[in-house]
Amino acid sequence: MNGDLMLKVQAWVDGELPGEEARQVEALVSGNKEAAALVSELRLTRGFLQGNETALKVPDSPEFYWSKIRREIERLDASGQSVPAPSSALWAALRRFMVPASGLALVMIVAALSFKYFSPATFEDQMVEVENLSEEMSSISYRSQADNMFVVYLYAKEQTKAEDESQFDPLDDLLFQ
Amino acid sequence: MASHQEQPGPTDDVLVRRSQKGSMEAFEVLVGRHRDKIYARAFSMMRNEDEAVDLSQEAWVKGWQRLKQFQGDSSFVTWMTRIVINLCLDQLRKQKRQRAESIEQLEEDLGGVERQMPTVTVNPTEGLERSELRRRIDDALGKLSYEHRTVLILHEFEDLEYKEIAKRMECSIGTVMSRLFYARRKMATLMAGYKREELS
Repeated sequence: MNGDLMLKVQAWVDGELPGEEARQVEALVSGNKEAAALVSELRLTRGFLQGNETALKVPDSPEFYWSKIRREIERLDASGQSVPAPSSALWAALRRFMVPASGLALVMIVAALSFKYFSPATFEDQMVEVENLSEEMSSISYRSQADNMFVVYLYAKEQTKAEDESQFDPLDDLLFQ
Repeated sequence: MASHQEQPGPTDDVLVRRSQKGSMEAFEVLVGRHRDKIYARAFSMMRNEDEAVDLSQEAWVKGWQRLKQFQGDSSFVTWMTRIVINLCLDQLRKQKRQRAESIEQLEEDLGGVERQMPTVTVNPTEGLERSELRRRIDDALGKLSYEHRTVLILHEFEDLEYKEIAKRMECSIGTVMSRLFYARRKMATLMAGYKREELS
């Protein structure tokens, strides 16, 4: 038996094969001693493992074990590091998208208007100030009258550590299942 | 779930609802009721007492923080077990990045070793007292690499399907299958070895 076939036999033992493939493996096992021996061993191993995990007890006293958990919970509560509910997490994600999008729209409107209604004659006149009121976005702009060009580069300000942690929390997919 | 039926006092569901409303006393009862199971799962994956205690405590803190998101789709203890498993997997990944691969590990990853192992035909656990059987299983589990042990634990003890294990371990289903195959064959071989030692 090759390696792929061995894995297929195992998948059959575990009930992970779809109907037709399962029937093929079943036929193989019934007529192949090597495959039948493998099935027997895999079932034997499953059999002695299931329900025979060692029962362990926490080595610390219940009071000591709980006291550390309680202290940590109280410390986090005091520092305000609570996890947002799903609805506020959704709002935060929406906000992360909407803020740069609205910022970009605003800058483009200002740029378009300045080109249409403002025709600078001197260098000072070309110094157009675009105020960015966003707390989360910053921008760098470049304007060239000679090339008839106005470029705005938008970027997100550094996120706080807490935001980063919540964004990449490995428990997220578990908790929204 | 058997555990909370055996316990006197309110059920897990009642305690969870109270905890969700902010009752730390109710949560303490839940911790007291299930702490051994959560610790045991952490220990089975980490094989280190101190790490298992720390990670299980961290899991309880996470559980408290996320309690409002617990919808009751699974039992509370299953939900908590998933949290501690994720924390352990995270920790093991960090550790793996820090240590060099052993030669045995490389051989296992390349594949082929498990196919050369002779098939175990005689039940190596026959006639064993349950406590001795558990001791041998625990000993054999300790001889597996963390990838093989974890796959085996998630499949045999947590009853997770291949695709769910693949998702949690961030690998392909094919990798899960080959790791599970190796782990089972190695376990059978180790258990047969203990039996031979006993008879000799």
